[in-house]
Amino acid sequence: MDANEREQYEAAIHGDREAFEMIIRTHSRTLFAIAYGILQSREEAEDVVQDSLVKAWKTRWRVRDPEKFPAWLTTIARHKAHDIFRKRRTVPLSKEGIEPTEIQFPDTTAIDQQLHSALAALPELHRTALTLRYFEEMDYRTIENTLGLTNGALRGILGRALASMRKQLRPALASMH
Amino acid sequence: MATIHDELDSWLTADLHGELSDSERSALHAHLVECAVCRRTHQETKTMNKILEETLADEKADPAFEERMLAGFRNRIPQTTGVVKLFANLIRLRAAQIAAVAAVLLGLVQIGRMITGESATPLRNRKNYASEDFVARPGQAGASRADQSTSLAKSDELARGRSQDSTLNEPPPPTVPASRSELDKEAAARPMGLAAAKAVAATPENLARAEQAESKPGETPAPVSANRKLIRNATVELEIARFDDAVQKITAFANEERGYVATTNSEKQANGKLRGQVVVKLVPENLDRFLQKVRGLGELKNQTLGTEDVTKAYLDTDARLKNAHVMEQRLIDMLNTKTGKVSDLLQVEKELGRVREEIEKMQGELKYWDSQVQFATVTISLAEKDMEEPAAFLLKERAQLALYAPDVEKIYNDIKSLASPKVQITNAQLNRDYSGRVSARMSMLIAPEESEGVIGRVKGFGRAENFQTQTERIAQGGSGMSENARTKRDKVELNITISRDEQEQAFQQTSLRIRTASVDEKAKELGVLAGKQGGRVRSSTFNRDPDGREVADVSLRVPMKNYPALMQSLNSLGKVENVSVQRQDRTGTQIDEANAPVDISIQVYSQGNIVSHESGLLATLRRTVAQSAGAIMWSLRMIGVAVAFLAPWVIAIVGVIWITRRVVRAKR
Repeated sequence: MDANEREQYEAAIHGDREAFEMIIRTHSRTLFAIAYGILQSREEAEDVVQDSLVKAWKTRWRVRDPEKFPAWLTTIARHKAHDIFRKRRTVPLSKEGIEPTEIQFPDTTAIDQQLHSALAALPELHRTALTLRYFEEMDYRTIENTLGLTNGALRGILGRALASMRKQLRPALASMH
Repeated sequence: MATIHDELDSWLTADLHGELSDSERSALHAHLVECAVCRRTHQETKTMNKILEETLADEKADPAFEERMLAGFRNRIPQTTGVVKLFANLIRLRAAQIAAVAAVLLGLVQIGRMITGESATPLRNRKNYASEDFVARPGQAGASRADQSTSLAKSDELARGRSQDSTLNEPPPPTVPASRSELDKEAAARPMGLAAAKAVAATPENLARAEQAESKPGETPAPVSANRKLIRNATVELEIARFDDAVQKITAFANEERGYVATTNSEKQANGKLRGQVVVKLVPENLDRFLQKVRGLGELKNQTLGTEDVTKAYLDTDARLKNAHVMEQRLIDMLNTKTGKVSDLLQVEKELGRVREEIEKMQGELKYWDSQVQFATVTISLAEKDMEEPAAFLLKERAQLALYAPDVEKIYNDIKSLASPKVQITNAQLNRDYSGRVSARMSMLIAPEESEGVIGRVKGFGRAENFQTQTERIAQGGSGMSENARTKRDKVELNITISRDEQEQAFQQTSLRIRTASVDEKAKELGVLAGKQGGRVRSSTFNRDPDGREVADVSLRVPMKNYPALMQSLNSLGKVENVSVQRQDRTGTQIDEANAPVDISIQVYSQGNIVSHESGLLATLRRTVAQSAGAIMWSLRMIGVAVAFLAPWVIAIVGVIWITRRVVRAKR
């Protein structure tokens, strides 16, 4: 983290609104990707990002070390997303939360539907890694930092994620060739 | 290349994502050329990647996403205003937090000081400097004033002027510098003046003065109370040794502190102690010092110190007064110029009268406030020590006396004849019951100086018995003890009961038995013996039972002094047995022991001719057997008790042992 960023986080912690808005500009997409990775719904993910930002501003004084500000932001977003995910799962008891996406994308093509159900079947971490990579084209180092992974772990995760999706979508893929 | 083959998925993914180093990539491609399975997987993964890229690109946040987030954020967290924001930011700063805590602590300390009465020492010192300078200045040696006096004096006056200005609100004295520039000049001149003072005269006095002056530049007059109208009041309650001394000292203190004693009142209690109140007026800045001094006079019981701020009321009244003046002027003008109807003029005149009355009232009010503000009022309540000490004691004596005499009526009349102005008979009663027994009851009040003589004479009338005196000391005009209070004897109250001497209870009772052959004869002889010793027979009975036993009971009464002689003479009658003596010592009463009556009951009896059933052989045997059977029964009962006592313990101990053994066995 360079000195500039650090300064920005520190100013935001001390209530500098402009600094905080700058952080919103730079970080909200990451937060969105994480929230989407958990919820797989754009609307809900957007709400999560919004709520997380408000909460972050209100409780910013809790952060003692400015270095940890981005990690703290993502933690808030993850918790919020999990909250919503849990609520969603508890409401329709009959339907297992594995495939909630089918309802939400009624007009997409067959391959899309299959892709989404394959995504939904992935572990959450894998899905989040995928969204970060494909939404924001982040390099592996940044994703690892954001998700708190050790150096080099992401390669295996993404490899396994792609492989499992590939296997699920194999018939569809074959038809595309 | 087994690793690549095994972990192909991650290699392929990393390759597609451009995360492989050059060497890794060439290694991967080399393997792909060799391995057909991996080539197919490569193909599939590429397609997968492409689908993901295409599909997820639709899902990702749109370009306006950040702006939406920002707008939402601004919407939900509105911009705070400048001051609030500044404050909010400030309280988050560590330094500000520490400062706030420190301020709160300081505040608490100050409050604590105020409560404990150590209040505001620095402030008072500052004022004291000013007033001390003012008082001490005339005594200053002329020589030392040569050079420095101008600056010192001026600074003194400055301080005095300010302090007066701030507290009394008087018009500033002419010596007070009018403008800021003059003040500055003062400041510039002071150090030089000081140096000169030290050089010219280094006498201790001057040094002290110079030091005082030196400490002055750091001082700033308290601006808070400037132009404020404060009325200071204090009340002190003291317990002092002597009232007059205390008043004298208070007067002296008041003079020292530029004040005066306004009123004094005192009240003398019945026990000679004084209680009173002194009201002192003095300039407010000396109030604290004065109170300090007054407190040293005696034991402080209570103290209150109050300040009333009448600034607002004062200014209001002042403004109203000005308005009233204007009004008055206008009415006067009206009277002067207007030549209207008489009734109008009268109206104006009336109004003018009202306004003037109001003006006077307000002026009076202002004057009153001024006087109140100018001088603080100290009300000192003084009470001498031991206020509750009684003024005098009254000794109340009450005596009780029982008289026994053969002729009750005679004594009754004798006592009645004692009556005189100093001996008053309050109650006299003579009772005669159906059996002709006479008793009397009398009460009299005797003057203290006569009491002993009269009581002595009364005692002489008969056998005095049961004489009791009771003295009560009653405190008057207070309670507790006193060293100085006088003790006065009150009239002595004497209650007398007179009864015939038979009714008197015997001082000693003796009972004995005499065994003799001729009971009847000896019983008669007893009466003779008693008569010889000044006694008499009170009762006698004679009895003969079928066994031929004769028993005579004789009761005698003799005076105590003749008792031993009588007892001696009884031995001549026969064998004296079973003597028991019972003596009633009456504590607290004075008894004429020599004349006190002694009752002796004597049983004279003879042995019967026939042996009774009770002493026969059979009877003895029967008694012995019955007694031994009783003893055995008793011991059996005792054993039962012991068993009943021990049995529960034995059962409990055995039970415990049994359970323990069972447990031990079960473990094995």
